[in-house]
Amino acid sequence: MQDVWINGTAMAQTGRHYGLNADEMAARVLEEALKDAGYPEIEALFVASATAEQADKQQMLGAYIASRLGLDKIATYRVENADGSGGAALMAAAMAVRSGLYNCVGVVGVDKPNDVLSNQQQDIYSTATDAVYERYFGVTPAAQAAIMAKIYLAKYEYKYEDLALWPVLMHKNGASNPYAYMRKQAKVEDVLESELVSDPLRLYDVGPMADGAAAVVLCNKKGAAKLLGMWTSTSAIPFNNRPDYDVLYSAREAAERAYRMAGITPRDVATAEVHDSYSIFGVLAAEALGLAPRGGLLAALKSGADLKVNLSGGLKSRGNVMGATGVYQAVEVVWQLMGKSPFKRVDGSIGVVHSMGGVDKVSTVMVLGL
Amino acid sequence: MEHESVPLYWRNIPAYYRLVAKRCKKCGEVYYPPVVKCTKCGSAELEDYQLPHEGELVEFTVLRSVPTDFLKQKPLVIGLVKLGPVKVLGQIVDAMPEKLKPGQRMEVVFRRVVVDGKYGLVMYGYKFRPRP
Ligand SMILES: [Zn+2]
Repeated sequence: MQDVWINGTAMAQTGRHYGLNADEMAARVLEEALKDAGYPEIEALFVASATAEQADKQQMLGAYIASRLGLDKIATYRVENADGSGGAALMAAAMAVRSGLYNCVGVVGVDKPNDVLSNQQQDIYSTATDAVYERYFGVTPAAQAAIMAKIYLAKYEYKYEDLALWPVLMHKNGASNPYAYMRKQAKVEDVLESELVSDPLRLYDVGPMADGAAAVVLCNKKGAAKLLGMWTSTSAIPFNNRPDYDVLYSAREAAERAYRMAGITPRDVATAEVHDSYSIFGVLAAEALGLAPRGGLLAALKSGADLKVNLSGGLKSRGNVMGATGVYQAVEVVWQLMGKSPFKRVDGSIGVVHSMGGVDKVSTVMVLGL
Repeated sequence: MEHESVPLYWRNIPAYYRLVAKRCKKCGEVYYPPVVKCTKCGSAELEDYQLPHEGELVEFTVLRSVPTDFLKQKPLVIGLVKLGPVKVLGQIVDAMPEKLKPGQRMEVVFRRVVVDGKYGLVMYGYKFRPRP
């Protein structure tokens, strides 16, 4: 087994990149990450994208990204797990290096949801639900997140105002992140006055879809950060038959296995980036990572606890860059551990990434250390 | 979104029209959506199982940001309804959302779900409404 290190990192500002094709945008960021790594020879490229076919009518994106950079004769793989594609691509790439097959590989996440209209974005996002038993009837991830939020708030006797603290914290964190999409502070009133999307969830509970690309270079030689543990887990239970709606099973399992592999406990985590496509998922993911007891995260926020979660601003403020999200999170956590601008160095040497596809369908948890 | 696949619709008609689930012949566990193998006892012997058409509301939400197919029906009330041994997620109709309450009795109704914009195919399926 080979050790796996992150040798290079790069990300683009998220937002509306009308002037760039998906392959170009990915190639530019990958080039930066390769430069950061000192231009090692990469033998394979893993591409995370959730919307390449639907928004940009492109399959086999890896081959075209390779063309833009003249990366001839390398292997290319596309990994798709909806908005959890980034974590899954990182996992596949890490396994390929760990196995000894490749010495160095590139991972690039890219999606351009703003290449289509907002209703079409809803169409695309809803393909992450069950096509036959959910999407057919008009069900979207937002509706499922809303039902989970209602059940969570009722079970632990919180008010919606308590949940509103999550987007407020995300906006506070994202305001100082120049890579983020929504770089402004928000007050609880802003959240409460925003339009309803699917009650109780409002516009501020939803991570806005943004174009983005991020890349890392993984090698078996020492780099900026070391991969200490990693696991991907599905939750095979259909949404309609979940025993509990106040927990992310996939995140919980992936965290448990990744922590065990890394030999860490939640107390060791100095920073975490979690998949808050909807505010409730940020809360549930942080609990699944053990950063608060089950049902206790909002109580911690209410009591003013200084949570080092989503210092980037999360999907709410950095933006929901769909399949690229997991790769952004990995770059952000590495930069937070290193104290690389725009992030201040966190107090500790271990950071965690949680990447999730759909509504608790599949999660990847990655433990990174300096 | 365009529903160009007639076979995709056609093969799911038993579920859409009659809520046909699967039951394990060995241990009796019921699955909706259907499984290929019983996840409880491992048996591959499964039979069709008709879900009851009455049940209880578990939770619901009023969805205001909808996919293209549903723009004319917006907002959609999406609810989780317990029908016998399983819960089913679907649209709630003929109801004022502010009067809906978890635990209340619901029944299955058969309605038009979506009209295909490209070929004019009209597709149907189950929805739920409060029991009068
Ligand atoms: Zn069985």
